Amino acid sequence: MTSTVTPAIATAGLTKDYGSGRGLFGLDLEVEAGEVFGFLGPNGAGKSTTMRLLLDLIRPSAGSARILGLDTVADSLAIRRRVGFLPGDLALYPKLTGRAVLDYLARLRGGVDPHVRDGLVARFEADLDRPVHELSTGNRQKLGLIQAFMHEPELLILDEPIAGLDPLVQQSFHALLAEVSAQGRTVFLSSHTLSEVERVTHRLAILRQGRLVVVDSLENLRRVAVQRLDIEFSVPVAADEFRSLPGVTEVTVDGATVTVAFAGSADAVVKAAARHQVQAIRPRETDLEDIFLRYYRAGAPG
Amino acid sequence: MTAPTTRLALRLRLVSTISAGAGLIAVQIVVGALFPAVGHTIGKLDIPKGVAQLLGGADYGTITGWFRSEIASIYGPLVIGAMAIVSASAITAGEEQDGILALVLAHPVPRSRLIAAKGAAVAVVVVAIAVTTWIGMLCGVAIGGGGIALGHVTAYALSLAFFGFAIGALALALGAGTGDRSLTGGVAAAVGILGWLIYGFAPLVSALGWLRYLSLFYYYAEHDPLTRGVGAVDLLVLAAFAAVMVVVAMVGMERRDLRG
Repeated sequence: MTSTVTPAIATAGLTKDYGSGRGLFGLDLEVEAGEVFGFLGPNGAGKSTTMRLLLDLIRPSAGSARILGLDTVADSLAIRRRVGFLPGDLALYPKLTGRAVLDYLARLRGGVDPHVRDGLVARFEADLDRPVHELSTGNRQKLGLIQAFMHEPELLILDEPIAGLDPLVQQSFHALLAEVSAQGRTVFLSSHTLSEVERVTHRLAILRQGRLVVVDSLENLRRVAVQRLDIEFSVPVAADEFRSLPGVTEVTVDGATVTVAFAGSADAVVKAAARHQVQAIRPRETDLEDIFLRYYRAGAPG
Repeated sequence: MTAPTTRLALRLRLVSTISAGAGLIAVQIVVGALFPAVGHTIGKLDIPKGVAQLLGGADYGTITGWFRSEIASIYGPLVIGAMAIVSASAITAGEEQDGILALVLAHPVPRSRLIAAKGAAVAVVVVAIAVTTWIGMLCGVAIGGGGIALGHVTAYALSLAFFGFAIGALALALGAGTGDRSLTGGVAAAVGILGWLIYGFAPLVSALGWLRYLSLFYYYAEHDPLTRGVGAVDLLVLAAFAAVMVVVAMVGMERRDLRG
């Protein structure tokens, strides 16, 4: 991918080898400015390792990365001024109240507009008066999000941001991401489930066992996704008629209704169905979770 | 940029520091009150030289010997050492293992400056303990009938503070260099206790006498500030050790991967 604008994130052969096959290996990734980019993979795939490398919390074994055009090791301090970070497994000072935690982090960073902070607190309905150790996971996560956004950074690196958030707060969070993106700021967020991020991401990458499996837009991924058709017949038909068809991955029967999952063209499935009396054919919404799981399991689409 | 870190670290250590300080004052008042009745009765104990050394001479017959044995030989260095080690370990390796440092270090603050700010907090805790020891000893000595000059009590508190700086800086270096709370506390405490034992027993074996110069406790106790006032050279050695350890802490933290 070429661009005249400096990418928000660009990695070249980025590697962190922990031995025994664990870590991150040869990551080449480019995230454009203004994108909301999803970074997906099962637990232990290397998502957090990548983010920690980008923040210079750990140093690469090989390769390099640039954030907003700056080297992640040499220019780490300048980068951290312009980036907001939410770590996975967020930990805060347990004895301090939410307010004291945000005050400390704001002072440590400097240049935080109190109005922006207050706006985020109101938006997430965060509880600032109780000690952190009394807060639920979701309420702690709200504090994590507020500190990541409160200095209006150019790039947000969010590790599992939706973990523990209730659906209403998730909505607020998604709305915030849309606003941030509309302002030309970049969001790089990780998740281990696609459904958490598919509504908000423009492009996504899937990581498996420390290696990049695919980078593409949601539209393109949908195009190669497994489709499902519910075919309702007048009388029950044998599932075996569909199992052997090209592209078919799964067939289930419920009374007179056969559900066929397949990749590629629907031609063979429709023609096979036409040999019987068909009451209705209903396409199911493309389930991205299917392709997602396929990449997880196989490492490459089958 | 780093003052908030020092303030926060102090805020989190406030209760334990006040408790330790209050304990030091209370204990020394009791120790002072007991001297007129008990000190003269015990007198100078006839015990093996090494053990006597560990007990600050075991001369209970004078108020200086009484406070040297009751406070300066064990209780004072134990409290200041424990407070320095626990504080330094908690705000470096402890915060790292809890995952808090991953968030803090994503902020625009150099690791070495963060460690320096945390080191400053440990130093303040140590000074607070030394000051309360000084207050407690002045009260205890007055209650015990007097007999130790203000200048000598002050010199002792100064020695204690520098011992605390040295042990605290060692724990800071271990915590910042390894990120391992157990290792930090264990090794720093072992160095302190081993130093105390070496100070007492190394001189008994002539071939091992030199070992005592490696003990931080030697530079804290050997000059005997309660009798002889400030020992500038010993303080300088402790200060130099602390300074080197702080540099090791800053460099160690800068160079390694964060845990977690």
